Amino acid sequence: MRIQSLLPLCLAALVPAHLPAQGVASSNAQPVKALEASGLPWEAVFVDVADDAGLDLVFTYGGRETKDYIIESNGSGVAFLDYDGDSRLDVFLVNGSTLAGSPEADAPTSRLYRNVGDGQFEDATARSGLGRSGWGSAVCAGDYDNDGRLDLFVAYWGRDALYRNLGDGRFSETAPTAGVAGSPDEWSSGCTFVDYDRDGLLDLLVSQYQQFDPGTAPPPGKTSNCEWKGMPVYCGPRGLPFGGVTLYRNLGDGAFEDVSESAGVRDVRDYYAFTAAAADFDGDGWQDIYIACDSTPSILFVNNRDGTFTDYATEAGVAFNEHGFEQGGMGIGVGDFNADGWLDLVKTNFADDYPNLYRSSEGLFFEDICVRAGLASNPRYVGWGVEFVDLDNDGWQDIFQANGHVYPELERQTKIAETYAQSNLVYRNLAGKRFEDVTSLSGEGLRQARSSRGAAFGDFDDDGDLDVVVMNMAEQVSLLRNDLPPGGSWIRLALRGTLSNTAAIGSQVTIEAGGARQTRAVMSQSSYVSHNDLRVHFGLGDALHVDSIRVRWPSGQEEDFPKAAAGATWLLEEGSGEAREVP
Amino acid sequence: MTGGRGRFYSRRAVRALVIAAWLGWLPGIRAQLPSNPATLTDRGLGLAQEGRVAEAADLWQQALKTAPDYFPALFNLGYMHFSAGRLENAKPFLARAAAVSPSDFNAHYLLGATNQKLDRGDEALRAWNRALEVRPDHVQLMQVMAVEYGKGRYHREAADIAMRALRLRPDIEDLHYMAIHACREAGDLDAGLKVAADASTRYPRSARASFEYAWHLQKDGRFAEALPFLRKAIQLDPNYEEPHFFYGDWLVKQARYEEALEPLGKAVALRTDYIPARISMARALMGVKKWKEAVDALEEAVRIEPRHPQPHLLMSQVYFRLRDRPKARAAKELSLRLRRQNPTFLEAVQSRPFPD
Repeated sequence: MRIQSLLPLCLAALVPAHLPAQGVASSNAQPVKALEASGLPWEAVFVDVADDAGLDLVFTYGGRETKDYIIESNGSGVAFLDYDGDSRLDVFLVNGSTLAGSPEADAPTSRLYRNVGDGQFEDATARSGLGRSGWGSAVCAGDYDNDGRLDLFVAYWGRDALYRNLGDGRFSETAPTAGVAGSPDEWSSGCTFVDYDRDGLLDLLVSQYQQFDPGTAPPPGKTSNCEWKGMPVYCGPRGLPFGGVTLYRNLGDGAFEDVSESAGVRDVRDYYAFTAAAADFDGDGWQDIYIACDSTPSILFVNNRDGTFTDYATEAGVAFNEHGFEQGGMGIGVGDFNADGWLDLVKTNFADDYPNLYRSSEGLFFEDICVRAGLASNPRYVGWGVEFVDLDNDGWQDIFQANGHVYPELERQTKIAETYAQSNLVYRNLAGKRFEDVTSLSGEGLRQARSSRGAAFGDFDDDGDLDVVVMNMAEQVSLLRNDLPPGGSWIRLALRGTLSNTAAIGSQVTIEAGGARQTRAVMSQSSYVSHNDLRVHFGLGDALHVDSIRVRWPSGQEEDFPKAAAGATWLLEEGSGEAREVP
Repeated sequence: MTGGRGRFYSRRAVRALVIAAWLGWLPGIRAQLPSNPATLTDRGLGLAQEGRVAEAADLWQQALKTAPDYFPALFNLGYMHFSAGRLENAKPFLARAAAVSPSDFNAHYLLGATNQKLDRGDEALRAWNRALEVRPDHVQLMQVMAVEYGKGRYHREAADIAMRALRLRPDIEDLHYMAIHACREAGDLDAGLKVAADASTRYPRSARASFEYAWHLQKDGRFAEALPFLRKAIQLDPNYEEPHFFYGDWLVKQARYEEALEPLGKAVALRTDYIPARISMARALMGVKKWKEAVDALEEAVRIEPRHPQPHLLMSQVYFRLRDRPKARAAKELSLRLRRQNPTFLEAVQSRPFPD
């Protein structure tokens, strides 16, 4: 029969499919079945108490039903910080805007909520002067003028803002005079205060996602960079102009100098950069910086100790996944999940991909062990905020991951098995060997399906466990209170620099308790473009005290502190050698 | 052959004869016939058979002037152009033929084949779907469609049609592998596992079947169960490189680098141009800190496929470990440049639903 004789001809004529580019990097990763459940109890249960606590902000971030441009999709960061020095954790939420804009009186603004105790917050935005409208993206905190009060930097599409804390509940916008406002057409997407030159002053690194101009950006569905699984969506990031990285050196007189060229960070081009996390990854006493990048290789700026940086992400094994694929990098968590004294990284990525669990060995050599460690079971999520956090106070850093897709259009189609609203995830650390998905055991707060972005971590109710504040696209902020039953042992260390910056950003703290060693870094930004409580929290398991505390200050000095009792916050002042209990 | 001499002028018979004539199966069909569409069509057929294709086409065009929807003439013209590679010319005739005779399998099939050759995969699949409505048991067409769906990244649809073909003809071994591949691309590993299990039972002497089952068991988190099937695959066909690579690569992922060297070495020996195996071998060598051997493995991969970015990327990591930062940087920059020049090496594109 003739027709059948044609079939082999047609099959033979088949040529390898041309693989068109797509807007965002992903790997078509399949879920890797979880290993056998540990059977261990999990007691960290989360309840969303935002309403009761008075955190009433409903975020605005572009269109709710559709998004025409990428500016509407990435959302923003959040912060846990003590801006008024009363030892209670306050909350700052970065807000966005809409393409249509709003009348000035009704324009959505960022919000500052003051913790008034008893789990309650009051809106302190108006008095603070932080209520700017616009397309805010990232937040980082640090005391750039070393006056003992935490200042804020907020990154925008448009001019960035540096808010100097005046100490009376008000902030003064100093970016233009300080020289860190950037240009009006830049889309700044990440920031971190970092004392890269060890002069005791916090410098500032700002990452830019891209040069974005809605006047020239193509409309949805225009090219293969503007579709997701056949669905027309906003374009990008691929095909849109790249962003860059800017480094400002603190001159100590309230002004900063743009040293991007001389420091070598401007040499790194063609990236869509997001979250920036600064820490001493190679243990040489100098601050390095890791930047999660979307659909381009991620960046690891290694400090050359002479005022310059070199990007060694590829060589160190943290630019790509284990197969060399670019990824849609979003958020970064930094911690020592396996308690070997080296800082490891967890990075969230776009959908159809796994997160990266970059285990450090000897400082600058990393291996992505995500699959082996049990973190490859949920590739359908778009991951954003992420952190190593000991949620059950057992002495091992667990992982919290905030999720949410970028295309609200997914909610109205039936052919793609993905949703815009996604639940967040909790993975329990099993003694540094692997992680176990315990989301289903983590309470109603983890059953919420929202399109989340930034997440920050801290103990806002001072009950000895870590809570989470989460940014949700076009929905109310989540305040996930950890209702871990009492009994677990913990300690919190508040660091104050004297030679170093007062907030001690860049410090690394190692404790020994119950025969185990734990290491934490004090950072100005991590998770997804967010800021965590600067006080370092350690779960201690059954230990009733910490046997030893060693701090490596950003000045490079190492200092030992004596034994301290569990269940309290201790102030460690640089050079004092004493741990003082904070009432 | 359907029809027969007694039904020579019926549409169906004419079509059958056209097909036969093109294949040279029915020489000498030429007669003095009246000038109606059927007669003209048959005369054209005879001319075509003599190689006088242009004259044949004229007659078929004449037939269409008297009967614009005359299927045999439409089909013959379409097929003539298709055979001559004039695909754009073939398409309108075949589309009209399919429209006037929607129950004709061949018209839909050939219209699909024309579209497929014109790189209009979606239109091809639509035509072939109509052909399948006429012949819902046409397994070979389903195979073609599964491939075409896969090319278009319509992996769900590819899996559906591959599974349909398999349900019709579970006795054809290759259909199992096609279904397994399609399910894998569609992300439906559970379905793939079932097919692989069935294949391993039906074809116990097939190394491929054993390997596919092992692959799926491992992806299902059941490596202990997978291992005997991997071993069986190797035993059944010691020259089959996939099980060696798969086992070695799994060991690398478990950080069992020393153990990985042997199976990866076998995979590379069996298929010297097996780049993924060479890369995995290099990673195993890096894991056991055999830096020079790792560089050798990577350089061999580069020699085989100089455009691939991944060997250079790993080489940058080896040199970085050896604290040779200039070499590390050079390897990195080459890797990044190759990545941009050859994005398909390290790019995964999404599947998508077939558009309505």
